[in-house]
Amino acid sequence: MLADVPMFADIGGYLSSPSNRDKVVGLLGEHIVLAVAPLLIGLAVAVPLGCAAQRVRWIRPALLGTSSVLYTVPSLALFVIMPGILGTRILDGVNVVVALALYTTALLVRPVVDALDAVPGHLVAAATAMGYRPVRRFVAVELPIAISVLAAGVRVASASNISLVSVGAFIGIGGLGQLFTEGFQTRYPAPIVIGIVTILALALAMDLLLVGLRWAGTRWERA
Amino acid sequence: MIFSQVLAWFGDPQNWSGPGGVPVRVAEHLYYVLVTVLIAAAIAIPLGLVVGHTGRGGLVLVGLANSMRALPTLGLLTFLFLVVRSQGVSTVVALVVLAVPPVLAGSYAGVHSVERDIVDAADGMGMTSLQRLWQVELPGALPLLFGGLRSAVLQVVATTTVAAYVGLGGLGRLLLDGLRSGPGGYPQMVAGALLTAGLAIVLDLLLAGTGRLVVPSGVRLALAGTGGKSRRPGPSPPSGE
Amino acid sequence: MTKRFDDGTVAVAQLDLVAAEGQITVLVGPSGCGKTTSLRMVNRMVEPTSGAVLIEGRDVRSRPPAELRRGIGYVIQQAGLFPHRTVLDNVATVPLLTGTARRVARARATELLELVGLPAELGRRYPAQLSGGQQQRVGVARALAADPPVLLMDEPFSAVDPVVREGLQDELLRLQCELGKTILFVTHDIDEAIKLGDAVAVLRTGGVLAQFDPPPRLLAAPADDFVAGFVGRDRGYRGLSFISADGVAVHELATVPVGARACGHGWRLAVDGAGRPRGWLTPAHTPDVVTEQGLRAGGSLHRLGGPMRSALDAALSSPSGLGVVVDERGAAMGGVLAEEVLAAWRRQRGADAR
Repeated sequence: MLADVPMFADIGGYLSSPSNRDKVVGLLGEHIVLAVAPLLIGLAVAVPLGCAAQRVRWIRPALLGTSSVLYTVPSLALFVIMPGILGTRILDGVNVVVALALYTTALLVRPVVDALDAVPGHLVAAATAMGYRPVRRFVAVELPIAISVLAAGVRVASASNISLVSVGAFIGIGGLGQLFTEGFQTRYPAPIVIGIVTILALALAMDLLLVGLRWAGTRWERA
Repeated sequence: MIFSQVLAWFGDPQNWSGPGGVPVRVAEHLYYVLVTVLIAAAIAIPLGLVVGHTGRGGLVLVGLANSMRALPTLGLLTFLFLVVRSQGVSTVVALVVLAVPPVLAGSYAGVHSVERDIVDAADGMGMTSLQRLWQVELPGALPLLFGGLRSAVLQVVATTTVAAYVGLGGLGRLLLDGLRSGPGGYPQMVAGALLTAGLAIVLDLLLAGTGRLVVPSGVRLALAGTGGKSRRPGPSPPSGE
Repeated sequence: MTKRFDDGTVAVAQLDLVAAEGQITVLVGPSGCGKTTSLRMVNRMVEPTSGAVLIEGRDVRSRPPAELRRGIGYVIQQAGLFPHRTVLDNVATVPLLTGTARRVARARATELLELVGLPAELGRRYPAQLSGGQQQRVGVARALAADPPVLLMDEPFSAVDPVVREGLQDELLRLQCELGKTILFVTHDIDEAIKLGDAVAVLRTGGVLAQFDPPPRLLAAPADDFVAGFVGRDRGYRGLSFISADGVAVHELATVPVGARACGHGWRLAVDGAGRPRGWLTPAHTPDVVTEQGLRAGGSLHRLGGPMRSALDAALSSPSGLGVVVDERGAAMGGVLAEEVLAAWRRQRGADAR
């Protein structure tokens, strides 16, 4: 039935070629790496930054200001400018990873600050009064309580990264985004649809994974 | 070196005149952004307000908005172009899809953020459903609603550059044409990036200013009173405060 | 000691007081009087601008803050329990910080839960599953976990309802009787201060000490108008809490058991099988069988050995004018008259004046 609709017939046709199937799987793998690596890097950078913004008064406006300006630079522009800044070759995955890591950091700084703000002051005071030193207090008390607010920000950043990777197709490194340029150049929608559907599925899978991680990390909230 | 090349690019009068000049590109870009955001606002604000007001379908809406965020604009754009064969329509539709989620989330969260007590008080005073929405929930929702609009504008300004790929104008032209002309095009790409970021910042400041005018000062004061805890090591307030 | 904040406001002005070892010292005053700031200077969460805090003769600044704090118990208003840890792990926090083995720390925590009157099963729950009163008890248990000699309590009972608060206060007095800690207790509630404190320091706005005295003296002789105003209404009446009613005559009481025939006349007290008061029979009411429904509700009860305040209140609130005195099992054993309580009070005052 579905195969009678021209679009689905096209997709079936495209996927019936083993070389096309291999290509889609390969691009999917590349897409995952290009989306997940910046997410981890961005989180690793944003948490200490947000923590610093909590403690030192002037860092907060500076940090939030910088991150919102950074977010105004189009991803396409960031991708194409990166080689000039990093000294990398234009066809280097590092360009995409660094650019997206910058975005992720910019995107996560505010949720991190908000999440830490949401930790009740009396809990921090109680921990201090019991003799926690600052670093241990941050890791053992503030961070676990901040998880659920933080998780919302990480989910947005994950979806945004997965979608933005495809823009890298302009510089030849876009994971599944390559299917969009291929489809556009050959005037053939099938690879585009496959790309969109796969990206959505990937975003959904990542989101479920993050929800699961959050669930495991905040058992106490549901008790 | 790159810096001086970019300066030279900006200094070249040729880049400022004719159909490919900076003013024309900025105007084109601005035009797509305005059309897109207006359409997105016309769809998303009423929807967000109504769902927030009735409290029904909130979860579905938030989930839908979140999954729409994952839709790759480039994919949608190329697909629509191949199907409808119109640069303008495909670009605007793809960008509207991008702009709707933040506006929707902002207006829904805005209504949702109005405290239960205040809504109860409105009902208790005998306001009709529509009066409550218009006089109580909408004013209270404005700060978050504007936040949603601002983030939609930022995203649309940045992403409109992709429209150049299907042959439309706008600042994306500078990026793509620069990319295609090899290493010599680098100053032009940087110029395009700077112009896009500058446009985004100017629009954001304008919207922030409008927000200050539109959001009732009482709502702003209430937010300032609750936001951000004092880091001063002073005495904690006694109970009941 | 003095604390002046960066913006120039003085939170505590040259406060100088000694909290006696093994006693409860209460800091009380309106908001903004610097009582919490004073408390926090003890465990170095606030550093004094000038002056020093000594514990057992040793300046608190001679020890690193974290180490110092592990040796001082701290209880706050919202209990401050960590929501992501079970009750047991909350109580075990400080022992775990100081490197006690987890098993040992948990065993100790279980004991402490029982000490503060909570069943050990609660240890497996999360704080959010506990009532406000239970959370406060856990907060006290957590502060006691490392067996610190000094306990700082910052409005610990202010956020719970009055009935629960009274229970927690009684519990604290019982615990203190057992443990004999040196407790510094901050509250804005003068009644709480008078009930709990061995000595009470009244602070006025700006952190100036207005009076530092034991509660009876605070009620009988406020230092100035501010203290008198803060101590509030009924202070003469409340002062009776600190005078024993042992000198007040206890009269015999006509009693009839519920379920029996109502004999006698005048006001008669109906009692249950254990002799506990159930209510009064009015002089006009002489039914064949005494039932609960036919009774007039009684007043408050005065426990033998209690203060004049409860004796006077029992007399004033009793419909017959005769206050019911009960023994420690709650059985009625006699009655007191208001005028005789006052006569005893006058004798006592005359003796004090001489």
